[in-house]
Amino acid sequence: MSSRRSRQQSGSNRISDDQIIELVSKLRQLVPEIRDRRSDKVSASKVLQETCNYIRNLHREVDDLSERLSQLLATIDADSAEAAIIRSLINQ
Amino acid sequence: MRNQRSVKQEFLRKWITGLRRYSCDEKKNMSFLERKKAIKLSADIAMASTRDKTTRWSQALIANASSSGDTLTGSSKNNSSRSRKKMLMMRRRRPKVKSAKKEMSASCIAKRLVEKRTRKLKNLLPGGESIDEGCLVEETLDYIESLRAQIEVMRYLVTASQLIINPYP
Repeated sequence: MSSRRSRQQSGSNRISDDQIIELVSKLRQLVPEIRDRRSDKVSASKVLQETCNYIRNLHREVDDLSERLSQLLATIDADSAEAAIIRSLINQ
Repeated sequence: MRNQRSVKQEFLRKWITGLRRYSCDEKKNMSFLERKKAIKLSADIAMASTRDKTTRWSQALIANASSSGDTLTGSSKNNSSRSRKKMLMMRRRRPKVKSAKKEMSASCIAKRLVEKRTRKLKNLLPGGESIDEGCLVEETLDYIESLRAQIEVMRYLVTASQLIINPYP
C-alpha cells in the first residue's frame, strides 16, 4: 500500500493518511457510487481522483441546470410566477 | 452536517433575491447566455453566503464574484481556463523517475501521483490554489455538500417552472 511508504511526510505539504481515511468515509456517506472494490484498502490517489471527478460532475450539473432555467424562466412572467414558486418551495 | 432543509431554504431565499436584481426590464433584453450566467452566478453566491464566511471556498467564491464587479462576465470562466492551463503544464513537465530499486520508484511515483491529484482537487475548489492541505479535506467535503444542496434546489426550480408552463402534462 503506497500510503504506508509515504507516511513520514506529514504536515502542511501533504495530505495525511488520516485525512484520506476521513475523506473516504465521509465521501462514502455522501456518495454511494464511490466505492472501493477492495474495501479495506484505500488508495490515496484513487480517492483524490474520484473526488475530483465527482466535483467536476457536480459543476457540470449546475451548469446544465442553469441553462435549463435560463430557457424556462425566459418564458415565465416574472413576478407572479416567482412568487408562486417561492411559496411552494419554501413550504415543502 | 448542517440541517440541510434550512440550508436549502436559506439558499433559495437568497438566490431569488439575487435573481430579482436582473429582473423586469433587463430580463427581457438578456440573451440566453447572459441569463444563464446570471442564474448560475446568483446561485453560486447564494450558496456561498449560506456558509456565512466560515469556509474558505465560500469566502473565495464571494470575493471572486465581487472583484469581477458582480457582473455577468464573472470570474468562474477564468478560473477554469487557468486550471486547465495548469493541468496541461503539469502533464508536459512530468519528470521521469529512474531508479535502480523498483520499490523506490514505485513509491516516488505514488507520491507524485498523490501530489498531482491533490493539486487538481485544489484547483476545483474556489480559492483552492492557496489553501492549506490541512483544511483541504474539510473544505472539500463542505463544498461537495453545498453543491449537492444547490443542485437539489435548482432541480426543484426547474420542475416547478416546467409545471407552471405546462400544468397538465
